[in-house]
Amino acid sequence: MSAHAEAHGHGRPGYDHPLPIHFSSRISPVIVGIFLFIGSEIMLFGSFFTVYFFDRVVNHTHPWPPHPYVRPVFVAGVNTLILVTSSFTMHWATVSIKRGNRAGLQAGMVLTFLLGLTFLLTQVIEYHRIGFNTSDTSFAATFFGLTGLHGCHVFVGLTILLAMTIRSFRGHFSPEHHHGIEVGGIYWHFVDVMWIIVYVTVYLL
Amino acid sequence: MTTAHDTHEHDAHAEHGEYVPPTGWHRWTYPGWLRILWVMPLFGGIGIGLVTLIRWAADWHPIYKGVPITTVLLTTLPLGFLAGLGGFDFWVRYSSGKPTIPDDHSRHGARSWRDYFRINTDHKVIGVQYLVTNMFFFLAGGMLILLARAELAHPGTQYFNPQTFNALMTDHATLMIFLVIVPAFAGLGNFVIPLMIGAGDMAFPKLNALSYWLLPIAGVELLAGLFVPGGGPNSGWTCYAPLCEHQPLGNVFFNMGVQWAGASSIMTALNFLVTIITMRAPGMTFWRMPLLVWANFTTSMLVVLATPFIAGSQFFVMFDRVMHTNFFEAGNGGYVIGYQHIFWFYSHPAVYIMLLPGFGIISEVVSVMSRKPIFGYRLMALSLLAILVLGFSVWAHHMFIAGMAGWLRVPIMVTTLLIAVPTGIKVFSWLATLWEGRIHFTTPMLWAVGFIFCFVIGGLSGIWLGAVPIDVQANQSYFIVAHIHYVLFGGSIFTIFCGFYYWFPKMTGRMYNERLGQLHFWLTFIGFNLTFFPMHYLGLQGMPRRVADYANRFGGINEFVSIASFGLGASTLVFLYNIVWSWHHGPPAGRNPWRALGIEWQVDSPPPLFNFEEEPQVVGSPYEYGVPGARHVIFGAPQPEPVSAGH
Repeated sequence: MSAHAEAHGHGRPGYDHPLPIHFSSRISPVIVGIFLFIGSEIMLFGSFFTVYFFDRVVNHTHPWPPHPYVRPVFVAGVNTLILVTSSFTMHWATVSIKRGNRAGLQAGMVLTFLLGLTFLLTQVIEYHRIGFNTSDTSFAATFFGLTGLHGCHVFVGLTILLAMTIRSFRGHFSPEHHHGIEVGGIYWHFVDVMWIIVYVTVYLL
Repeated sequence: MTTAHDTHEHDAHAEHGEYVPPTGWHRWTYPGWLRILWVMPLFGGIGIGLVTLIRWAADWHPIYKGVPITTVLLTTLPLGFLAGLGGFDFWVRYSSGKPTIPDDHSRHGARSWRDYFRINTDHKVIGVQYLVTNMFFFLAGGMLILLARAELAHPGTQYFNPQTFNALMTDHATLMIFLVIVPAFAGLGNFVIPLMIGAGDMAFPKLNALSYWLLPIAGVELLAGLFVPGGGPNSGWTCYAPLCEHQPLGNVFFNMGVQWAGASSIMTALNFLVTIITMRAPGMTFWRMPLLVWANFTTSMLVVLATPFIAGSQFFVMFDRVMHTNFFEAGNGGYVIGYQHIFWFYSHPAVYIMLLPGFGIISEVVSVMSRKPIFGYRLMALSLLAILVLGFSVWAHHMFIAGMAGWLRVPIMVTTLLIAVPTGIKVFSWLATLWEGRIHFTTPMLWAVGFIFCFVIGGLSGIWLGAVPIDVQANQSYFIVAHIHYVLFGGSIFTIFCGFYYWFPKMTGRMYNERLGQLHFWLTFIGFNLTFFPMHYLGLQGMPRRVADYANRFGGINEFVSIASFGLGASTLVFLYNIVWSWHHGPPAGRNPWRALGIEWQVDSPPPLFNFEEEPQVVGSPYEYGVPGARHVIFGAPQPEPVSAGH
């Protein structure tokens, strides 16, 4: 950006064009930003875990889940494996572009996107067949709350992945410039790790 | 963001960074207010369509239902507004794989008043946008409470029924907190923080512009809530669930409005943090940062970590309303005071969000106006961090009488009293800075000293309230109203005025009228104390808060308080006249009217479009007043080795 401004080659700096940016940190602002954003996201999930804790532990709700609801532990477990796999393919895509391997980047992005999409569709079908609705007791509220919040994050993550996949097929990104992949990847890993916590809390415990 | 450069490549002016208005039908597709006219209804239609489709597919009846449609419209209409204005243009281009284009700066800076009504990436313009918006909602929130005070002047019902009265109170508090105090610090910070750390702009200018524009959306939704059929938001600014879920439609507007304000606040805070971490000038180590930068740093940490909790609490209320979940409904397994815990886990740190930047402003002004180095610079910074950490451990002192677990009372009382220690460190450091200084009682200094006076009163009543026995007695009484106004009006608003007067010459290049400024201070200071001090007495005598009617024996004092509150409201007119007049007719202020050391005072007033003609080089402490030959910053020095992130 500053290079473009320099190219004008006229006028006073500070008035017609900015000075080159001086960075006081070795990490790029975008990366610092995404990690802070994830901190914020963790707190948002934290508020949902808090209400889960209140409704289950503080309120002494026994048994959990209340009779007659059953949680689809196995299907969700397979789904967990799918999402965890997608983290590895995402990592593969990131490593590939760092080494300048475009085919690896493209294959990694497509695989990650498809695995994520499979996860989300499975979740939707699971909602459809689960046998209880949002309005059935606080168990259903926390179940749909936590998995739904996570589902929204998968949706946002998929949107980012789709955009980055398109860009990777248009020949964008290079070993030096791949913030889009890196940031999208960090976010995707966060979504995956958060799912493991959600799965253990909502389905297993 | 630089679509001007792409769609109108023939415009030679665009290369020079000048805004070229599009012509013909292009005006309808170009980011701006004309595009809003069709994008906003389009998004609204999409919203209604989605709700209808989902309700039809799930076989829920009735298919058209007021609450879900209102909730979705309060999300999609603002999104349409932002899309029309051009808030998303850059990211849409980027993610759809179009080549990114070099920034031509055509959206940077203001050349006419119209540029304040666009997506503008200049942090100085955004700062002014914030402050003017805050001023508008300050007046609106003030009007609301004056109406409520008129009702309270006499026992019985005069002008408003209790329902309307509750709506006035709720909107007053909500606007003052979410649309005035929190964003006013974001506005002042936006203007001065990049200058203070020697950066050309914020780290993410486009995000900065977007996060400002979320704010008027929040304000309009909160105000609009007053006028919807059924009644305005009437469950208090805390909007406790499950109470608020059974209240009129106006509460949906509160619900969504707070979400927009929260999103704006998180995005701005994130931007501040990244800017302070990555964009400091050479030589600006963490221990050379001005205390306002420190204060904004800690505040932003609080915002990023705490604000998601209020988002969460409002999400639960939204789900309860729209999807009939039972997060808090006791009959269906919900935990009734769960909302209160989650809400206060944000809203107590929010008290510090509303105070810490003010502490930073006071530190700047007290040191400059006393011509002395700030006392205990490092301890001032560390006490901010202590408040940051302790602030997360005191939320339940708002709930001593709410029926929470009994064992939680004493630990929370201890942490609450403990947090007075870092706050006390700050107050005593300011006093020690004043000690034997050459004090100049200019308008900002008057506000700073007035702040210390009022804040100590509010802080002391806060310590009383932190003690469980007193809280059990005084909670839900006017004593709380007195306390909260001594810390948020006598505290936060005073610091905002202080900062506003202090940086007014930097923002406009002109000096305000000193006599009017001092008149404004004295009118506000006296009006404020006459209004709120008697409330301590009212509360201890047993007058409950949040009531439209009260026992006859409180009549006399309430009449006095109402008259004083109108005087307090009128004092704002002096301020308005002063800034509006001085903005155009004030005497030129020059670069450094206060003879301050900070980087922001070494550039022109108002600062050049890109802040700096030469790279600033920080060589010392920002507060070495009265020390011969002390420099904080030099310009155009040869580059030293790069400084890492400051550890």
